[in-house]
Amino acid sequence: MPRLPYSLLWKARAVDHLLPPLVKQCRDVHAAQNELRWLRAHADTLSRPNSKAHDGLLRKMVEQRSTGMPLQYILGTEFFGDLEIKCRPGVLIPRQETAASVTYLAQLLQRAKNLPSQLHVMDLCTGTGCIPLLFQHELHAARRDIQVYCLGVDISTKALDLAKSNLRKLQKTEPAIVPNLMKFMRADILKEPDNDVPSVLPSLKAALELNRKPKQWDILISNPPYISPSAYWKTTTRSVRGFEPKLALVPKAELGGTDTEQGDAFYPRLLATAVEIDAKVVLFEVADLDQAVRVAHLARKTNAFDGIEIWRDQPDQDDLEQVPENISKDRSCFPIIGAGNGRSVLLYRGVGASWLGMPAPMQGTLEQQQVSL
Amino acid sequence: MPPLPYLLRLRLARYARTSLCSNSCLYNALPPVRTLFATPPSLAKQLPPRRVVLDSEIEENFLKGSGPGGQKINKTSSAVQLKHLPTGIVVKCQETRSRTQNRKLARQILGERIEELELGEQSRTHIKAREKSKKKSSADKKKRRKYRALEEDRKAMEGEVDDNEPIEEGESQIMKGEHIGEGKIHAPG
Repeated sequence: MPRLPYSLLWKARAVDHLLPPLVKQCRDVHAAQNELRWLRAHADTLSRPNSKAHDGLLRKMVEQRSTGMPLQYILGTEFFGDLEIKCRPGVLIPRQETAASVTYLAQLLQRAKNLPSQLHVMDLCTGTGCIPLLFQHELHAARRDIQVYCLGVDISTKALDLAKSNLRKLQKTEPAIVPNLMKFMRADILKEPDNDVPSVLPSLKAALELNRKPKQWDILISNPPYISPSAYWKTTTRSVRGFEPKLALVPKAELGGTDTEQGDAFYPRLLATAVEIDAKVVLFEVADLDQAVRVAHLARKTNAFDGIEIWRDQPDQDDLEQVPENISKDRSCFPIIGAGNGRSVLLYRGVGASWLGMPAPMQGTLEQQQVSL
Repeated sequence: MPPLPYLLRLRLARYARTSLCSNSCLYNALPPVRTLFATPPSLAKQLPPRRVVLDSEIEENFLKGSGPGGQKINKTSSAVQLKHLPTGIVVKCQETRSRTQNRKLARQILGERIEELELGEQSRTHIKAREKSKKKSSADKKKRRKYRALEEDRKAMEGEVDDNEPIEEGESQIMKGEHIGEGKIHAPG
């Protein structure tokens, strides 16, 4: 990281004496000013303004932030779309790009005329529970005639506790969130269902049977760990490495394979799960465009899906950037939608195409489609 | 006849007064009713409607650093930048931590800016600012008047005390009251 010039720190100190430690973390005076404003507002809610306790609290929070602790852990919440989601150390903080993808998917489904009266949505690696909560909020608010039944699955009990607590918090303020139609369940989604030895941590299939959940699901969403070990050390920020759970970021090392394969380790199992639960629409988050293309190719190999799309950070915006050279030759195969980095892969089949407003899938295999196009 | 409940009397009286049966027996039979509010609420002048900016006229940009996103970094900025294509006005909003709220706020600010450009003195913001300054100046005037009157009273009192012999407490209070009353009448408007 380049060293900050002293002049910048002095400039920050002239604005507010608490600003320089924040500038060290934010690398920018304006961003630091914003963070200080939010921290101050948070301190105002916890203690009487202009009291000694208030000063001490604010100073402590600034100190925590200057060590790299994410602002969301200090404030205790993060905005995910319209929802204010609780965050706690040990559970990954929801990201805005994820919210953009989930909101866009809900928008596409709002217009569908042939949705079933109860839509079953499963979210794997749910973390704070932000994805099912936002999805139900967005879709149920627009379509009151449809019951959106959501199930969030995670391996971490910390995450499940937080997800349940988020549901309790949001059901009070958001009328579109129905607590009866929102469940969270513990399962190890990487465990193969066939060689499942009865244990504390069941596979997804076993957990579904155990909890008497339906076997068929309409929509599968997942934001799995997708960072490869080398990318973890090279590309993640210090605040992410130091404070967010590695379990939610990097697939386990026991899965083996090369560095890239380990980064992609969740996707084969996720695709198999999508086929097992008979999902009509599938949305997986990915790290970048390269991984998106790799996942799209994996999905094509399964021969189970009628359509594959790659979404960028803002799928509802026009494409402003050029597609890199090595991917542009694949572009004819996979449509790339939106603006920003490659962010997610959308798969659909059967009635899923009509739900999303896509042209109806042609009869025949995927290869024939490509040729006819 | 037992007295009718308050709200029912109120409604009857209002009905009787507004309708044609104002000189009928019903109106005369009713006792006078005190309403909760003596004066009707003053209706402020209607402001011109808000300028709605069409999404097709806007270029929206979420200011993000270049480089990786998603799980790899943990952004706290949720800044939104809007560019109004026909006029070229650029608005940036990073007021709240929520991007959706920032988007709404930015659109509101942009609408105000465009309106100012289009309507000038007749725009909502100008009208509001004028009304505010008018209220402020009238409040200031009132304040000045009050303190001037108090000052004059004080001076008059001092003069009185100097002139007269000390009197009984009860009497002096009456004198004070009289003087204050006079001071108010003679105070310049």
